[in-house]
Parts: sequence; C-alpha cells; structure tokens
Amino acid sequence: MATTIKRVEIESRRELSELMRDQFLSLDAAARDSQRKVAWCTSVGPCEILSAMGFEVYFPENHGALLGARRLSHEFIPRAVSIGYGAESCSYMNSDIGSTLMGHSPLQDVFGIAGPPKPDLLVYSTNQCREVQDWWSFYGQRDGAPVMGVCPPTHLGEVTPEQVAFVRGQLEQLIERIEQQFSLKLDYDRLREVVTLSSRASTLWRQVLDTATAHPAALSFFDGVIHMAPVILMRGTQKAIDYYETLLNELNRRVEKGTGAVPDELHRIYWEGMPIWPKLRELSEKFYDLRAIVAASTYCNSWAFDEFDGDDPLEWMARTSIEIFINRDEPVKQRFLIEMFDKFAIDGVIFHNARTCPNNTNSRFGMSERLREELSIPVLVIDGDLSDVRFFSTAQTMTNIEAFIEQIEELQR
Amino acid sequence: MSEALYVGVDVGSSATKCVIIDETATLVGHHVNHSGFDYADAVDMSIRRALRQAEGTLEDITRCVATGYGREHVKMADRQVTEITCHARGAREWYPQVRTIIDIGGQDTKVIRLSEEGRMVDYRMNAKCAAGTGTFLESTAFKLGLSLSALDELAMASSEQAVLNSYCTVFAGTEVIERIKAGQRREDISMGLFRSIAARISEMLSARSDAVAVTGGVAAHCRAMVKALEEMLETEVWLPPMPQHAGAYGAALLAASQEDTQRRSTSHVTHR
Ligand code: SF4
Repeated sequence: MATTIKRVEIESRRELSELMRDQFLSLDAAARDSQRKVAWCTSVGPCEILSAMGFEVYFPENHGALLGARRLSHEFIPRAVSIGYGAESCSYMNSDIGSTLMGHSPLQDVFGIAGPPKPDLLVYSTNQCREVQDWWSFYGQRDGAPVMGVCPPTHLGEVTPEQVAFVRGQLEQLIERIEQQFSLKLDYDRLREVVTLSSRASTLWRQVLDTATAHPAALSFFDGVIHMAPVILMRGTQKAIDYYETLLNELNRRVEKGTGAVPDELHRIYWEGMPIWPKLRELSEKFYDLRAIVAASTYCNSWAFDEFDGDDPLEWMARTSIEIFINRDEPVKQRFLIEMFDKFAIDGVIFHNARTCPNNTNSRFGMSERLREELSIPVLVIDGDLSDVRFFSTAQTMTNIEAFIEQIEELQR
Repeated sequence: MSEALYVGVDVGSSATKCVIIDETATLVGHHVNHSGFDYADAVDMSIRRALRQAEGTLEDITRCVATGYGREHVKMADRQVTEITCHARGAREWYPQVRTIIDIGGQDTKVIRLSEEGRMVDYRMNAKCAAGTGTFLESTAFKLGLSLSALDELAMASSEQAVLNSYCTVFAGTEVIERIKAGQRREDISMGLFRSIAARISEMLSARSDAVAVTGGVAAHCRAMVKALEEMLETEVWLPPMPQHAGAYGAALLAASQEDTQRRSTSHVTHR
C-alpha cells in the first residue's frame, strides 16, 4: 500500500544519499586493501588527527543509529547481553556488538558492502561517555587492533586553559603512539588543513540549523538528524563543506519564500536528548499532524563547534572536544538550553529520557523541573531509548505528545 | 426528544465509557462496557445505551469528542482529545477549585496539575510499566484468587500500617507470598498493595496541593485506593460522583463548549 510521506522533502537529500554511498564504498575498499588503513573513531573524537595521518575513518555510532533506524536493534541486543553486556547498557554498543556476532549488518542491504570495515586502529574520547572505551575494547580484542584513547576531564563548568592544555597533551601522546605503532609521521600542516576544513563544515552546519530560527522554521529536528551525517562522518573533507553549501542555499531559499518544514506551523518545540531512531518517522508525522515543529535540539547542535582561528590545530581540537554540551556540568547545560529556547522562540521542551544512555539524558537531576519553574515553559519528559524499541510505548508517547500540545494551546489561549 | 446532545466517548484499554450532556450541560445519559477485542463494537454499544438513557437518537448528536487509548475507533467523533485534557475538564466541572487530578486507569496513571484559573500547567504519565496502575492491582488480586472488590473489602479491614515495597507487578507477587509466609494478615497485605500504588503516584506529584481529586475505574471501585492516597498525601481526596466517567464527561463538555469549534486533523499513525 502506498503511503503518503508527511514531510516537506529537502531536495539535497538525493545528493546526501550519493555522498553516503561513496563514503561507505571507499571505507569498504580501504578495509580490503592492505595498503590502506581504517581507524574507528568516536563521534566527537580526534578524527582530524586520524585523517591527517592517512587513515580512512569509520564511526561505529552511526552503525548503532542505522541499526536503530532500521528497527533491527532488538534482534541483536540479546546476543550481546548473552555474553555479559548489561541489558540496559548503551543500545548502540549492544546492537552493534550483537550484529557483529550474528554476522548481519544493514550496511549489506543499504550499500551492498560486507559490513563495518575491520579496524586497524580504534580511537576513542571519553568526552561523551565511558561506554565507548568498552565498546572499542571488544573489537580491539576480537580483531587484534590497538585501542587508544583520550580521557579528558568531564562535567566541566567553565573550561580553563589548564584543562585545554591537559587534553592537548593527551592528543600529543596519542599522535606519538600512533606514529610508533604504524611507523608514520604526522604532518602538522596537513593537520591544520584538515582542522580548517572540519571547522568550516561545522560552521556551515550551524548556519543550516539556524535556518530553523525563521518563522516558519526551514528545517526540523527530523531533517537535522539525517542531514547531520556529513558533519560527523566526513568531518575534515571538502565534500562535507560542498554539501552544506548546497543544503544551506536550499534552506535559505525556503526562508526567503516562507516555506516551512511543517506547513502552517503553530507551535515550536525543543528536543533535548537523543533521537528515538526506530520511531523517527512516526514521531515526525505526529508533530506534522499537530502543526508543531521541533525547531531545535541539543543533539544536532553537538557538532556545531566554534571556528578555528588557523593558529594551533591541537589546541582547537582539545578545546572543542571538552567544550561540547555532553561534557559540561548542569549549570552550563541549563544556560545553553535557555539561550537555545530564546534563540529559536520555543513554546515547549521535550526531554527524552533514554533508558540506555544516561549521558545524553538530562532529566535525571532535576533540570526539567528547574526549567519549568524558572521559565514557566511547558516541559514534557518522555521515556524511550535511542535504539531499543522495547523501552518505548508508542501509544503512551503519542498521547503524551498530543496532551503536551493541548497544554501549550491552552496556555496560549 | 430533539434538543442538541453532546457526546463524549472514552475508549480505555479495559472499559469504554460514554457520557451525553444536553445544551444546559446536564448529564442526561451514560454507559460503561468492556472494550473487549472489538473497540468499534464497544464504542457503538456504549453510545447506543447512553443515548437510550438520554432518550435521544443519533440525529440529536450535535458534536462528539473521542478520548482514551482507543479514541481513533470512534468514527463519529468530530475531534479527538487526549484523556489528560478530558479528565482535567471533567474533574474541574465537578470541583471548580481542584488543582490536582489523579487518574488511575487500567494501563496508565496520570497526575494533572491545574493553575488557579483551571489551566493545565503540568501533567505526568507513569513510565511504561504496570507500576501504579489498575493492572498492578488486578493481576496481584488474580494471583490471590480474589476479585478487585474482594481485595478492596479486605484492605478496608486492615489495621496495620503495612506497605508493599515493590512497584513491579512481578516482584509484588513474590513479596505478597513472602508476607503470607511471614504470617502477615491478608487484610494488611491487601492494604499494602494500595499503598504501593499511592507511593508510586506520590512520586509523580511535582507540587503538593490540598485540592486533590481522583478519577478512573480503580478509584470508582476501590475505597481503599482513596484511603491509601489520603494517607500518603496527608489530605482529603475528592471522589467525584462518577469517577470512571470523568474522561467521557470532560469530552462531552469539550464537545459542547464554544471554544472547541476548531478542528484538528487527526493522526494517521497506527498505534501499536
Ligand atoms: S553517548 Fe550514549 S549512545 Fe553514545 S556511545 Fe555513549 S552511551 Fe552510547
């Protein structure tokens, strides 16, 4: 049965599909070529160093999201649980490990490649969570590849020069270890080039997200989580920049014409927390029906870094890696959120309490209540998960969201 | 009879309720029946029976608002509104000064907070599990071979301050057995179950108030539930005349209200 797609389609999406295909085919080729090396990296990890040293970089969290979006996670998670990973541990990690153990990956169907490329090196940063360290260790042992990481100070208030210097030192050590292990030499000019490209893509990404400040908003959170792929997976490449220039042009045209991502937008919502990948489409359609736009999110903004001034690439990497939202303390997070609500003219805030990712869940230490009290803004906390659909009730959540919009309407009346 | 009638239908997971009011907002008909397997049938039956009591016909229905988990099955509905808004509206009609409404349903429990002007300022639904819901009571009563009303009778005869610690339905079952083995009285164990629900609900109250009403099927059938809530919240809890019909009543009032003429397109998402 043909179904109507309830979204205002972004035309650049076709180009994005091509880019993604090229990216994965290239990774697959690299994994099968003994002359080329593949490094795995966390999504806000030091990937620029790896690119500058000639590694093809693969981001396993993307695979976790793909498993979730394709509603496959729950098939693979039990396998990881059976070998000792907690049933409530990160569902990206569990589903990814489970899918490897069971020898099936959606990358086979989507891009026609064998699966995730085998790593020659695994690099993490615990600026987002400690789970990545354990996740990478599984593959390190299995594939006999070295696992190296950066462990920055976490839950920071103000970021001090000392903290930046400390992380910069860790990055230097990381470079040394990689140089020794692979008999390579990092070219700092090349690193500066990669970081410049990375920062440029990130700036463009922020401009893309900012088109949602327009009324009506030119793109929604549900578009954002798809179009953010290049700023993560192709960070440090010209391809990502070219893509965001095209996308930004399209969205700017939308703003000029007054075209919204949700036609006749009435309410503007902020999404705090991870996407619920398996239910993205249903949620997107629900907001569409309710004429509510999810105009901004913490998640999509996580890759919108400050610009690189061209001076010290390692300093920029160290600073941006610890300045990110997930690595900050409650007062800094709260200030950031309040600024975002103001910037995007938000009517109501939804916190996603993701069962298996406490790191991206900010409703567990009173923040939702504090914001409700301080700003008199409607706040809703919904229970779910980024990937494991067993922690999500569609009927309950949809009722919750509808009631939330009814509450906003009543307050605006 | 040919005056305008306004219909509210609340299709819950276990029961379907219908309330009909007339132009003067007087409740002229109501009915409750099991939702069963076929929601459309259940809806049909509850509307027909309520209409009969109201001495009206289908032609007399001016507007209909559907609510509840199965609200999509009310084909004649002009609008769907969530049970949260409807319970708040129904309870407010009975108690204009109410500030907190606790609705204990079969599969979920909601706590709704209203401002002084009666606007919804906050609401909470229980997390995705049976803790704090009618299902928790029903399944534990079933394990003990009791009906819900027998469980209520026993609980009302309790003299001890026993609380069951488990929120989880499965763990509560085990805890009940442990307590029976330890020689605790049936009456006190039964009351402990209601206190367990009250404790779970108290976690959902972001602010305390003295103007609390309880709605839903559990409150309608179990005096012990109201008692447990009163103890836990240390305040009198109002039980409206038709607690189980509060959502349908609210829906009927919304159907009749002028402010509610705007229609909203309904979702085509299939709930699973
Ligand atoms: S941040 Fe959360 S979702 Fe991401 S890897 Fe860590 S635990 Fe998993």
